[in-house]
Amino acid sequence: MTTVKTNSMTPVQAINDGLRTMLQEREEMVVLGEDVGINGGVFRATDGLQESFGEDRVFDTPLSESGIIGTSIGMAMNGMLPVAEIQFFGFIYPAYEQVMTHATRMRYRSMGAFTVPMVIRAPYGAGVRAPEIHSDSMEALFTHMPGIKVVCPSNAYDAKGLLISAIEDPDPVLFLEPLKLYRAYKDEVPEGKYEVEIGKGELLVEGEDVTLIAWGAMVPVIKKAAQLAEEKGITCDVIDLRTLSPIDKDIIAASVQKTNRCVIVHEAQSTGGLGNDIISIVNDTSFLYLKSPIERVTGADVHVPFWALEEHFLPTPERTLHAVQKVMDF
Amino acid sequence: MVEVKLHDIGEGMTEGDVITYFVKEGEDVNEDQPIIEVQTEKMVTELTAPKGGRIKDILVEEGATISVGTTILTIDAGNASIEEDEAAPKNDSETSEPSETAPDHDRKREVKGPVRIKAAPYTRKIARELEVDIEQIKGTGKDGRITVEDVKSFKGPEEAVDKGEKVAPATKKAAEDPTEEENWIPFKGRRKQIAKKMTQSIYTIPHVAHMEEVDMTELLAFRQELKPEASISVAAFFIKALAIALNDYPIFNSELDEENGRILLKDSVHMGIATDTTEGLIVPVIRNAEGKSLSDIHKEMKSLTAKAMENNITGKEVTGSTFTISNVGPLGSIGATPIINYPEVALMAFHKTKKMPVVDQNDEIVIRSMMNITLTFDHRVADGGEAIAFTNRFKSLLENPKLLLLELV
Repeated sequence: MTTVKTNSMTPVQAINDGLRTMLQEREEMVVLGEDVGINGGVFRATDGLQESFGEDRVFDTPLSESGIIGTSIGMAMNGMLPVAEIQFFGFIYPAYEQVMTHATRMRYRSMGAFTVPMVIRAPYGAGVRAPEIHSDSMEALFTHMPGIKVVCPSNAYDAKGLLISAIEDPDPVLFLEPLKLYRAYKDEVPEGKYEVEIGKGELLVEGEDVTLIAWGAMVPVIKKAAQLAEEKGITCDVIDLRTLSPIDKDIIAASVQKTNRCVIVHEAQSTGGLGNDIISIVNDTSFLYLKSPIERVTGADVHVPFWALEEHFLPTPERTLHAVQKVMDF
Repeated sequence: MVEVKLHDIGEGMTEGDVITYFVKEGEDVNEDQPIIEVQTEKMVTELTAPKGGRIKDILVEEGATISVGTTILTIDAGNASIEEDEAAPKNDSETSEPSETAPDHDRKREVKGPVRIKAAPYTRKIARELEVDIEQIKGTGKDGRITVEDVKSFKGPEEAVDKGEKVAPATKKAAEDPTEEENWIPFKGRRKQIAKKMTQSIYTIPHVAHMEEVDMTELLAFRQELKPEASISVAAFFIKALAIALNDYPIFNSELDEENGRILLKDSVHMGIATDTTEGLIVPVIRNAEGKSLSDIHKEMKSLTAKAMENNITGKEVTGSTFTISNVGPLGSIGATPIINYPEVALMAFHKTKKMPVVDQNDEIVIRSMMNITLTFDHRVADGGEAIAFTNRFKSLLENPKLLLLELV
C-alpha cells in the first residue's frame, strides 16, 4: 500500500500547489493575469510560480479583463491550457462578453472542432472589507449559461483537487475562490496530483431533520449553524455543493427526501440567485417529501455594502439557525 | 329540460352500471334528491337530481352498463314549484335555463363549498401511501394544518368496519338525507386489498371446513407449570404443534400450481399469523417455525404482532407464509369458516377455550377446558380424510403436550 504524503495548507496555498503541480505535469499550461507573475498575485496564489516556470509560462497581462479572457480563449483553442486569473470576481464584467459569447459556445459553434480548455480563477465574496465591486458573488450570472462549468471549493483539499480537475477539463471552467477562506484555516492536502470530481457535492455532516446547502464561504456558516441547531436537538445534513454548474441533483434529492426540510444559504443576492435553482431541483425531485417550504438565507437584495454594513449583508449562523427553526416549526 | 348524465364520479371512471332508480317517470323530485344508484368499478354511489322538477323520460334500463356522458334520464324542470324550501323567490325560466348546461360538479361545489386542505406535500404523500382520503381528516396542526400524525392516526371508516361499529346502512340512510355523508364508508385502502385477496381466494379455492374440539386442560396446566420460568403464549404452542403436524402431513403446507398441473410441497413451515390491527387484518410471518423452539416462536410472534400494531412492519415480514393461523379465541368465537390465505392450501382457526362438562373415559362428568378449532382446506389438493388425520395429529400434540418433547429440535 502506498501512503500519500500530505502537507498542512491554507486554501490559497493549496491553489498555489495545484497550479504548481499542473505546471509541472502539463507543459502546455500557462498562468496569466494582472500581477500573477513577479508579484505572485494579489493574494499570493501564484507566488513563486514565475520564478519556477519562467515568464513564458507565468506572465503578467495588461489591466484588461476582456483581453485576458479573449487571449485565453485563443490559446485554449490552439492547444494550450490557460489558467487566467481575474483579480476579483467583481472585475469580470468587462470579460463577460468574451466568456458568454465565445468561451461557453465555441464547442457548440464549431460543432466540436474546437474546445476551450481554459480555467478562469476568480476570488469572490464579501466579508474581507474590500472596496466596492470587489465583493460580488455573481455565480448565478454564469451558471445560467450552458457550456461553462462553475466550481467553488470551500476547503484546501477540494481547492487543489477541483482546480486540477478544472485544468484537466476539456471545456471552460470558472473556478471561484472564496476569498474570505483563503487563509481561514488549514487542511491536510496530498502532495502531487489528485482530482476532486466536478459535479459532485459532499455531505459534510449527517443529520435527520433539515438539509443545509451552501458552497464556498458559506460552508463554515452552515456548519456552525448545524452545531447551533444540534444544541437545540435538531440535526442537519450539511451539504457543500462544491460545483454550481452542473449541480449535483442526486445529493440534494437524497438528503431532502431523508430530512424532508431544506435551507439554502448563499451570500449572493436572493433575487435570481442560485438558491432558486436549488428550490427548483427540490421541487422537481422531492416535492412530495417536503414537510415545510424551503427557506433561503441570502445576501440582501442590494449591492454588497461598504465595509461598515458588510456583516449585516452576509448570512450568519444565527440567521441560518433562525431559518432552520422556521422550517422545523412550520 | 334537464338531462341527467353519468358523470365521472371520481378516479377517472369511464363507465358504470345503473343499479336502481329511486324515482319513476312522471314523479316529482326535489333538487339534490337521490334519483339513481350507480355502481362503478370501485364503488356504489348515488346520483342526485341536479334540479327539481318532474321525471320525464328514463332512458336507461336498470342493470345496464353505460359510459360516462350517457344521458340517463331527463327532468322537466319547468314545474319548479315543488322547491318549497327556497327562501328567495326564483324566476323559473331564468333558473332552469342555465342549469341545463351547468355541469353537475359545479352544482356540487355550490352546495358543499370548496374543500381547502392545509397539508404539506410530505403529509399528502403519506396520505396517498396509506390510501387515506386527506379531505376527511381534521387537522390538528398550526392553523388547522393536517400533520403526518393526523394522517397516521386517522381513524378511517376502515377501522369502523373491522370493529363492527357504525357499519352504516349507508345506502338507505343517505337516500333519506344526502347531506349525512359521515355515514358513508369509503371502501378502499387495506380494506379493499383484503377484499380483493379474500375474493380471489374464495373464488379460486373450493373451501372445506373441518371442525374439531381440543381438550386444552393439560396444555394449560403445562403452561402454568412453566410460568415461573417462562411465559409462553398458547399461540406459540399452536404454531409449534402445527409445524410438527405439517411435517407429518405436508400436503397442508403446499401450494397448487394449477397451470403446470403440480403441487409444490414446501420445505419449511412459514407460519402466517392473522393479526387484527387498527388498520385491518394483516398477516406477519414466522419463518422456519419447524426449526424454532417454543420460546423463540413466542418471542418472534410477540415482536411481529407489536410491529403490526404499530403499523411499522416491513413488506418482507408479511409475505411468504405457507400456512396461516387465525387465533380468534381471545376475542371469543365458537366456530367459523375461515377463508384460506391464497395461495396457501389450508388455514386453521382457534376459537374460545372454555370450561365445559365433559364425559371422561370412566363415564364421569368432569370439567375440562375445551377449545374448538376449524381447519379450512383446499379440496382440490386434499380430502376430508387427510384433513381429519392432520387435525387429529395436531390435537394429540396439544392434548398431551409431553409429546411435543419428542419433537424437540
